[in-house]
Amino acid sequence: MEQKDKYLIAVAVVICIIICCLSPYIASGDPDGLEKSAEDAGLKEDYSVEEIKGIPESTFPDYAFANDPENQPLQIVALLIGVIITLVVGYGVAAVVRRRN
Amino acid sequence: MHIPDGFIPISQCLIYYVILIVALYFSVKWARSNLDEKRIPLLAVLAAGIFAIMSMNMPIPFGTSGHMVGGALVAIVFLAPEAAVLVFTVVLLIQALIFGDGGITALGANVLNMAIIGGSVGLYTFKALQGAIGKYAAAGVGAWLATVLAALACALEMAIAGTFPINVGVPSMVLYHFFIGIIEAVLTVIVLVALDKFRPDLLAWNKTEGDA
Repeated sequence: MEQKDKYLIAVAVVICIIICCLSPYIASGDPDGLEKSAEDAGLKEDYSVEEIKGIPESTFPDYAFANDPENQPLQIVALLIGVIITLVVGYGVAAVVRRRN
Repeated sequence: MHIPDGFIPISQCLIYYVILIVALYFSVKWARSNLDEKRIPLLAVLAAGIFAIMSMNMPIPFGTSGHMVGGALVAIVFLAPEAAVLVFTVVLLIQALIFGDGGITALGANVLNMAIIGGSVGLYTFKALQGAIGKYAAAGVGAWLATVLAALACALEMAIAGTFPINVGVPSMVLYHFFIGIIEAVLTVIVLVALDKFRPDLLAWNKTEGDA
């Protein structure tokens, strides 16, 4: 990898770390556009058109540790884990599908 | 606009999964002939950045909130909606499996809205307008329209699923995403300006024909 690509990754990781550290504190708790539309349509929060069985519980539901969902420093940790996983998987997928000469 | 599990019946989810598989086939084909080695880090950092920025919901009017999506951004950076499909399949799969954001069953629909529709609308609006209003303004309009039309598609899918009635879902989704799209437009233009300043070699619009 070229030096400038290492800088690109370093700068991006720093920006991601800043976003992850701020997000648990400043992100709005208001429902997003889809959730709000669901409310407008009179749907209950746990609405589902059909019960879906066999879907595993996620490791970090709502970007938090399941046993301490309100803990904001742990939310930062969960987000940072997500950034690292996404970076690694994204790199891996791109490397696998890239152009061959 | 991450559709959770349970909002779309399984039979309809399967149709969206078929669309996802077809889109992935064309995206891998695109990557095999266009994704050169030096853009691998770029694709990876866009995925990571989109993962992070999606956690930051900003307040918008009507007591709702929204975050940047990024489908138009990826499609414009690579001048290919296929790149957005690759990035969003990775990001949305990780969000669904590990963070419970967006359904595992709804993955196909979510990639369709944010990457296929968002990426294509963003890119082709950009291409259509860049000559007339300049590339940054065109990218901003493209990003805004991508968000609104992705939300409209989402509302129509909800109506087909029987989850929201069309007369409530469409106006609500379009109205909220009219504002969320402004966040999308501003951040898309900021990232494009920064890339053009610091790494112009990575932007496909700076690539001349035949220069691989």
